Amino acid sequence: MTITIALPSKGRMKDDASAIFEKAGMKIVAVGNERSYRGRVEGLDDVEIAFLSASEISREIGNGTIDFGVTGEDLIREGLAEADARVEFCARLGFGHADVVVAVPEIWLDVDTMADLGDVAADFRARHGRRLAIATKYWRLTQQFFSAKHGIQLYRIVESLGATEGAPASGSADIIVDITSTGSTLKANHLKILSDGIILKSEACLVRARKAEHEGDTLVARIIEAVNGALA
Amino acid sequence: MPLINLPAFAADLLADFERLGTLRVDTPVIQPAEPFLDMAGEDLRRRIFMTESETGKSLCLRPEFTIPVCLRHIETATGTPRRYSYLGEIFRQRREGANEFYQAGIEDLGETDVAGADARAISDAIEILAARLPGRHLKVTLGDQSVFEAVVAACGLPAGWQKRLIHAFGNSAQIDSLLTRLSSPQPVAGLSPQIEALLASGDDATLIAHLDETMEATGYSTNASRSPKEIAARLKEKRALEKTALDGRTLGLLREFLSLSIPLAEAPAALFAFAAKSGLALDGALSRFDARVAALGNAGVDPGLLTYRAAFGRPLDYYTGLVFEIVIDGSSAVLAGGGRFDRLMTLLGARERIPAVGFALWLDRIEQALARDGEAAR
Repeated sequence: MTITIALPSKGRMKDDASAIFEKAGMKIVAVGNERSYRGRVEGLDDVEIAFLSASEISREIGNGTIDFGVTGEDLIREGLAEADARVEFCARLGFGHADVVVAVPEIWLDVDTMADLGDVAADFRARHGRRLAIATKYWRLTQQFFSAKHGIQLYRIVESLGATEGAPASGSADIIVDITSTGSTLKANHLKILSDGIILKSEACLVRARKAEHEGDTLVARIIEAVNGALA
Repeated sequence: MPLINLPAFAADLLADFERLGTLRVDTPVIQPAEPFLDMAGEDLRRRIFMTESETGKSLCLRPEFTIPVCLRHIETATGTPRRYSYLGEIFRQRREGANEFYQAGIEDLGETDVAGADARAISDAIEILAARLPGRHLKVTLGDQSVFEAVVAACGLPAGWQKRLIHAFGNSAQIDSLLTRLSSPQPVAGLSPQIEALLASGDDATLIAHLDETMEATGYSTNASRSPKEIAARLKEKRALEKTALDGRTLGLLREFLSLSIPLAEAPAALFAFAAKSGLALDGALSRFDARVAALGNAGVDPGLLTYRAAFGRPLDYYTGLVFEIVIDGSSAVLAGGGRFDRLMTLLGARERIPAVGFALWLDRIEQALARDGEAAR
């Protein structure tokens, strides 16, 4: 059986992922020229490398068209319903750190917690004639966190595909759910993270599609073991 | 592929609706998505089938009938009172069961005799189910949001806490964690010395002006979202309450109330006794509750079927009073569910307040109950 591993196709994520695979004794070489989207592992003929964008990796792993992928936990949990039933998080790779957080305008001095936000949301329609608007690209994570975890139902999601942190100041939303690594972009936009507003502490992970044929496959076990060994 | 034929008893249901004097209406299957998301919250988004028009308008397949029937009433500007009935397919993504199934029900709009309309909704639902499922022992659970609101108000809790509790009503995990949280003081921390000084001075105008200036300086509009006045008011409220905690006696009373689950016939006496013992003034809410129990008696509903559960409610802000659910005794499948939603019509754009009560029947579950009995008979 050929095992397909998808790695990020560009940027720091690509370099960091390749470095870990090399350290794990699985040096990745591009097939054809340097910019090729296919690769292989030196000494492992049954492994194919596909270079995909991080969000494609999350989708393909959900579909089971690839066996392993390296991508952010946030993208997996946002992209797949019941992620833990469909994929296994085999290793946390120690790079690509980013937190998915709930952030509100700093000037909301009375709002520090999700409970505060729940109060504000409950009242919002009566005061403003509309629901509290949240700008985010993380629909699923936002719904799970607000509805299931904090019992907050009365809000609306405004889809935001870029520059989410600018939405409150521009008036297109009241608050945001977004990723942040250092918090400096939030600060620059006068936003603050709620004290219990961290939805997910994400980083790059090696994930495996849960497939029946992986059961007892020595190559699958060997890849997981090698990557974990490189991290130790 | 699952069959989606009309249930065999659909014609009988329609005859029931006609006999009950309702006006049968139908609504388009394709609906604007906005009102559903606005009323039921974002959680619904995962469960409805959404699409977009060519112009980018969000549309969905009808996930229920109440909102379309109410919107239709507002659009056609028909007078009240009016009782509508419906029977048709609705579409929802469900983990179990088909994604399209039939629902039928009655919406009673504008009837000012609240107790009478509540009783009629319950008795109609029971009568229809009993006719479809003869010989089955039905069980009706009732709750009442307005009684809980009255209890919370009579406890003399701060307004902000009352709102939180009322908002969480119907979600027992949420109520529990809220009561626990309110039982310990919630300090307000992390304010700058300048804000602390402004708060301490009690000079609201200067505090508001300061917030206003800060928002201007940081590029935030002072009227697009929460205003300086609103933020200052809530901050002051939090500060005033930071050393307060829900006292043990009130907590005990709230928990005692929420644990009530008794035959409805005994509920008025039990609630009056609870009010007398606790010293809470619940008169208005209790007399309305009592009037409903009396109206149910007048409507000829068998009191043996009815249970009152004080904690039973729906955590949506347009439900205002009665909620009820009907199951076959020993089963958990809800065959009919309904309640009073006096705030929905104005939220949807009606100019005046229109009291409303209604219920929906889950025809697929009624069919399953019939099929189970058919198998048992063989």
